[in-house]
Amino acid sequence: MKQVESIADASPVHKLGPGAAGEVAKRWFSRSGTVAQIISLAIVIAIFAVGTQGKNLSWANVQVVLSLAAIPAILAVGLHLTIVIGGIDLSIQGTVALCAVFVGLLSRSRFTTNDVGLWILPISIAIGTVCGLFTGILHTKLRIPSFIATLGISWVLYGVAVYINRAMIIGLLDHRIQNFINDKPLGIANVALVALVIAIIVQFFEDRTRAGRYLYAIGGDEALAHQLGVKVDRIKILAFAIAGCLYGLGAVLLVNRLGSATSRAGLNLLFPVITAIAVGGVALTGGIGGAKNALLGTLILTVLNNGMVLMAVNPYAQTAVNGVVLIVAVALTLDRKKLGFIK
Amino acid sequence: METTVFRAENVVLALEGVTRRFPGVTALNRVDLEIRKNEILGLVGENGAGKSVLTKIMIGIYPPDEGRVLLNGREVVLKGTSDASQKGIGAVFQDGSLIPNLSVTENLFLCHENGFLQFGTLSRRKMAAEARRLLAQMNIDIDVDLPVASLTPAAKQMVEVARVLWLSEKYGASNPIVILDEPTTVLNDSERDTLFDILKKLKSRTSIIFISHRLQEVLENCDRIVVLKDGQNVTDMPTKGVEISEVEKLMVGHEFSGDRFREVEQAAPRESVVFKVEQIGKVGAFEPLSFEVHEGEIVSLVGLVGSGKEQLCRCIAGLDKYDSGSVIVDGKAPLNGSSSSAVHNGVGHVPIERRVEGLALNLTVADNINYLVLDKLKRAGVISSRMEKEHAEKWVAECLVKTPSIKSACGGLSGGNQQKVILSKWLSSDVRLLILDHPTRGVDIGAKDEVYRLIRKFAKSGVAMIVMCDTLEEDIGLANRLLVMRDRRLIGELDASAGRKPSPQELIKLIV
Repeated sequence: MKQVESIADASPVHKLGPGAAGEVAKRWFSRSGTVAQIISLAIVIAIFAVGTQGKNLSWANVQVVLSLAAIPAILAVGLHLTIVIGGIDLSIQGTVALCAVFVGLLSRSRFTTNDVGLWILPISIAIGTVCGLFTGILHTKLRIPSFIATLGISWVLYGVAVYINRAMIIGLLDHRIQNFINDKPLGIANVALVALVIAIIVQFFEDRTRAGRYLYAIGGDEALAHQLGVKVDRIKILAFAIAGCLYGLGAVLLVNRLGSATSRAGLNLLFPVITAIAVGGVALTGGIGGAKNALLGTLILTVLNNGMVLMAVNPYAQTAVNGVVLIVAVALTLDRKKLGFIK
Repeated sequence: METTVFRAENVVLALEGVTRRFPGVTALNRVDLEIRKNEILGLVGENGAGKSVLTKIMIGIYPPDEGRVLLNGREVVLKGTSDASQKGIGAVFQDGSLIPNLSVTENLFLCHENGFLQFGTLSRRKMAAEARRLLAQMNIDIDVDLPVASLTPAAKQMVEVARVLWLSEKYGASNPIVILDEPTTVLNDSERDTLFDILKKLKSRTSIIFISHRLQEVLENCDRIVVLKDGQNVTDMPTKGVEISEVEKLMVGHEFSGDRFREVEQAAPRESVVFKVEQIGKVGAFEPLSFEVHEGEIVSLVGLVGSGKEQLCRCIAGLDKYDSGSVIVDGKAPLNGSSSSAVHNGVGHVPIERRVEGLALNLTVADNINYLVLDKLKRAGVISSRMEKEHAEKWVAECLVKTPSIKSACGGLSGGNQQKVILSKWLSSDVRLLILDHPTRGVDIGAKDEVYRLIRKFAKSGVAMIVMCDTLEEDIGLANRLLVMRDRRLIGELDASAGRKPSPQELIKLIV
């Protein structure tokens, strides 16, 4: 611990904070810190600017990167809430798969007579929210560790999705959402703006509402938060429900961008999203990092992968690089003193 | 209820005949306590005298089994810490109850943010302003936006005090009561002076209960002193003109009586030195120190919480790393900071948290006893289940472990029997030095005697021992020699061989 500053006898005011240098350092690593992430982003951009001889800085490429980062960012902003409370949500693939299948089932296509039009947006979001609520209740009321509860739920939902979908790939005939996603009235794809707005809303929720503050209290010390009167279970369920809600939104956007719905839409989402959250500086022990960190993390990772594609790095090596990035990010952000044993 | 009417004049909180029992022990026995307006009350007593149980009753964590709690003359039932804090009673514990990643502001108002809502969202500006007002009132300058993890212990305590005061203000409790549980053990001298400065100013609008081991500071800064001894209050007097020695006598209480620690079985240690540390030191925990322990000798480390004795033992057991010096067991030096090397070299450790560190609770009694000697229970290179069974049964009988069978899980045994399992684990191995960290903590009286018997048995077989006990009587009774630690230094040693035992009063003078 830091030494206290000398206490002047003459002064009636007692200065009890840490020293000036310590203050600056602590602020860097404080909950809302994004400085390290912005620096990392700048470094990654700079490295690939050299590596691709500036190709990655072209406006066309920037548009591509932003558009690519958008949907993972929405998912990451959802998932990071469950990490802030000190848990984790691995159900993302199952939830997205189920939502995707329902989008295929209810939107206009050659396989079905159903056509709910744009109502598919609230429907998919509702399905995701219900999945999240269910997961949260399972985790808190039956006291199953979130790791296992969500992993189990993920496979259950994926199984249901495959059963309903029967491995069909359903081409969507209603292109209104797809067109909205890709339109660029403001220079960048709308979907990127949607992601930005969502990150801002969630960040506002975290900073400026009681429920949002309680997420951090729970992540910091759940037992203490409970003792001080935080309704821990309710807040945790809320976190999982909001996460599910954003998976639902992510799913409908994902499917419409691809133009076809299949249960396989959810696969291979978990790893990049968790990596993005870790890279963004959200501590896996809970209580540190916000929506802006999830957003920045996704951006860093997208720039990295885009850069490697532009440099024609071997795709298998790209996968390995992502794995290394995940481990390094966790090593840098994890406060290992907080954990007695690493399991 | 004449007395109540009379008392209501200036008594804020009164406990009447409060009794609290735990399995096997009466923690509080008909304790009466009064806290008056605008005073600092010092509450002192040895470890285990019942101070913390009393605190927990006052803040609603435990309900009293018998007796009443009166707040401003009216009987109240405290339903928990938040209920107590809304009635104006709050405690600041040594280990703190602030959430480390939240800022000072957020911690101050956590769960009571109603007043800061603007259109359904929190006004951070208003919260910060209120936090600054609150701390300025106490003449404290802390950056309210910092996460509390980055604050000094002194600052954290002040934030907690501020929280108690704010809550009582918010919920209209007229005279808040702040309980400080050994606040000074984590502070340096200038921080301590600051603390008392602030407390004396706060006195004009609060009552403060100050719990401490350091009698000097209690007598200097408190208006009244209450001494607890074995769960009973033995005195309640103004501090003016009171000598430390008087309080010491009251804390220790009765004279020695009878052979409570099997002292007749105490034998003189043998010549050879089993264990020695030379100039071992750890920055911030204890200053470099040296001592030896002979074969069959019981050495007791005495000193207050924070004197450094716990860290010293953790270093010897290989659970923490020391920064300088050396540890020698039977001429060999175990690796610094390696508990497995310590065990291989014959250092055993019976931890205070036996349920966490000492036993595998979900394994059977046999598994726990045999754990260290599995190599000896092998036949043709594989562990023989018959030998395992025989070994475990032998030691269960030897140590009188009361268990349904050797196949029962240790988690289901009583505290005393769990302790016997741990002791038999070490007894059956080749342990040379055994560290006993509060060996009778949470053990009922009958089983305590069994533990003492086993300790004497260890000594007879030549094992050297370092003990830290719950009470000074126990330290004195068990030990051949006492090492006294104070403020992270080894300040001296006392002979405690049979017939030449020092009195607890002599000892307490040295440690406080």
